Amino acid sequence: MEKMKMMLVDDEERFLSTTQKLLSKKGYDTLTATSGAEALGKLKTQNIHVVILDVKMPGMDGIETLNEIKQKFPLVEVIMLTGHATVESAVDGLKSGATDYLMKPADIDDLIRKAEEAFEKRQKLEEKIRLAQSRKFMKSPREILKETN
Amino acid sequence: MEKNHYDVMRRIILACMIGLPVLPFILALVIGYSYFTASIEDSTISSMKRIVGSHRHMIESFLRERRANLEFIHHSYTSEELSQPQKLHHIFNLLQKESNAFVDIGIFNEEGVHVAYHGPYKLTGKVYKEADWFTEVIKKGYYISDVFLGFRKVPHFIIAVAREEQGRKWVVRSTIDTYMFNNMVKKVRIGQTGEAYLLNAEGVFQTERRSGSSLMAKDSDYKKYHHAFNGTSSRDKVINSNESSPDASIRTFIETDAKGNEYLYATTWMKNKKWLLVVRQEKADAFNALSSAVSLIVLITICGGIIIVAVAFYLTDKIIDRMKKTDAEKSQLEDQLIRAHRLAELGQMSAGFAHEINNPLQIIKSEHSLIEMLLSDMKEEDHLKESESLTELNDSMDQIKLQIERCAKITQAILKFGRQNEVTIQEVDLRSFIPEITSMIAKKASVHGIDLKQDIAKDTPEIQGDPGQLQQVLLNLYNNALDAIVERHGAKHGKMIIKAEGNKNGKVEISVTDNGIGIDPEHQKNIFSPFFTTKTVGKGTGLGLSVCYGIIDNMGGTMKVSSQKDVGTTFTVSLPVG
Repeated sequence: MEKMKMMLVDDEERFLSTTQKLLSKKGYDTLTATSGAEALGKLKTQNIHVVILDVKMPGMDGIETLNEIKQKFPLVEVIMLTGHATVESAVDGLKSGATDYLMKPADIDDLIRKAEEAFEKRQKLEEKIRLAQSRKFMKSPREILKETN
Repeated sequence: MEKNHYDVMRRIILACMIGLPVLPFILALVIGYSYFTASIEDSTISSMKRIVGSHRHMIESFLRERRANLEFIHHSYTSEELSQPQKLHHIFNLLQKESNAFVDIGIFNEEGVHVAYHGPYKLTGKVYKEADWFTEVIKKGYYISDVFLGFRKVPHFIIAVAREEQGRKWVVRSTIDTYMFNNMVKKVRIGQTGEAYLLNAEGVFQTERRSGSSLMAKDSDYKKYHHAFNGTSSRDKVINSNESSPDASIRTFIETDAKGNEYLYATTWMKNKKWLLVVRQEKADAFNALSSAVSLIVLITICGGIIIVAVAFYLTDKIIDRMKKTDAEKSQLEDQLIRAHRLAELGQMSAGFAHEINNPLQIIKSEHSLIEMLLSDMKEEDHLKESESLTELNDSMDQIKLQIERCAKITQAILKFGRQNEVTIQEVDLRSFIPEITSMIAKKASVHGIDLKQDIAKDTPEIQGDPGQLQQVLLNLYNNALDAIVERHGAKHGKMIIKAEGNKNGKVEISVTDNGIGIDPEHQKNIFSPFFTTKTVGKGTGLGLSVCYGIIDNMGGTMKVSSQKDVGTTFTVSLPVG
């Protein structure tokens, strides 16, 4: 079974490094990015399943980054990390295609749980895609037959 | 300072309110009075003049007629005939028929010898050659005397007519009944004190005066008439004078007589300025209408003045009261505005502040998790032995976690307070809405043995508002009430009443009353301020009521608290009817 690959995006570097350490101790393979642009760049080169994205960042903010990710990498699951305890920013994120949201300060266990859920969702989705693709292959001989008729 | 300002205002308003109506009021009265006085005086004086004129005319006609009677006798009879006593008696009887004013009749020859006489006195044979009247009548042809005593020692006056017969002058003389003449002159009656009398040129009474004075006496005021006549007295007011023909003119003036009474006089000369006809009336009597008008005017002035002053005072008090009220309301409104503004600013500031706190908190939490993980790793690898220090370390770690949670709670509350999310305004029917919210805490209330009552009027109107916000407000009030009750009573005797009803001012009032611990008076002032709390550390953020206040304020409502220590607290929310 494929192993989950996460990416943390936040402008707080200490948070990134500590959380990365924690996650790797728990056995997760984690990448980090300090900005939306860096995150997009890393998504291009590596297969990342789940992105934990801070809403408020200098430069490109969380919602913009989310839109970009969803546009370029629709299969990547994004969990919004919001400093605002308001539902609004979370709702904005969810509307733009985020899978879930976390409120700061987030517990590491919560983070892992939500990431796992997202990963599961991603896997199910991939499963469906695979199934659909295999059906297509299954179908094709018939189509060939039909064509001959 | 403030009080002084109102006093000044009060004085200005009062002065205006009294001064403005009083000025035209007094002016109208004065003008009315002066015109009325002039008109009354004019009419009184002219009527007085009319009376004097007609009276003079009457007296003159009387005298003229009597003279004509005598002249008639002179012409009708010769001196011989007149000298015969019997004939004279007959003639006198005829004369008496003509007018019973004749008292006697006498015939005189040129030498002044009383030739014949008929009458009550024995005067035949007396010689009048030197008498004034006789020389006068011989000279002028007729004579009317002043009143005098004569041989009879009785006041009387005579009319004498002379005629030339065959080169000799004869004189017919008759005495006029002074009593009758007196009555005729006195007859005038004007008002209460009006009277008429005759004076001769020396000021001697020719007829009696009703107000007292005997015949032949000298009128002590006579000089004054002269003064008035000649206009030499500056003190006396000559009301009307016609200088061009003083003998025919009628003069009116006001004079004070010897007794000190003021009289309105009308005088006219008669008999070639020998007699002065005086008609006079006490001034007060003559201008009676005027004095009643004056008393009426005084009455009106007093009543009107009192009314104006009373109304002015009343209205000024009202106005000042109103001003005070308005000012108080204004300053209250300003206070509210400042508070609302401060709340909004605080909300925004604290939201940003909380958000910034959350980031380091996140890091601390991550670090804490890492430390925990490292500690457990070390334990597993036997780098750490169980010891007292380790237990304390674990305890400390737990405490850090707890405090982080606490911080998170605070920042979350602040963010909630500061958020300016869109609210969905809709109609809320409190009759179903309030019981719904109440049911949320019903369990908690029953656990604490609290008697929970609802009294929601059936005609409570619907309001416009965000149900979520309203729920937040109500739950906050409920929870506060529950906490207060538990703090005072524990799990017994708690009472909580929730009321809702529409009031007259187009508002809906929702009140939450508890019999809890109550709020200190000094705390009541700050109860809606953010971060103000009396709860133990860690239990309250001090934001609940200020958030509620902000919500209710946004909905156009107000929130009040009334509380008594150890009796209970009532929070009243009033909202505009939707």
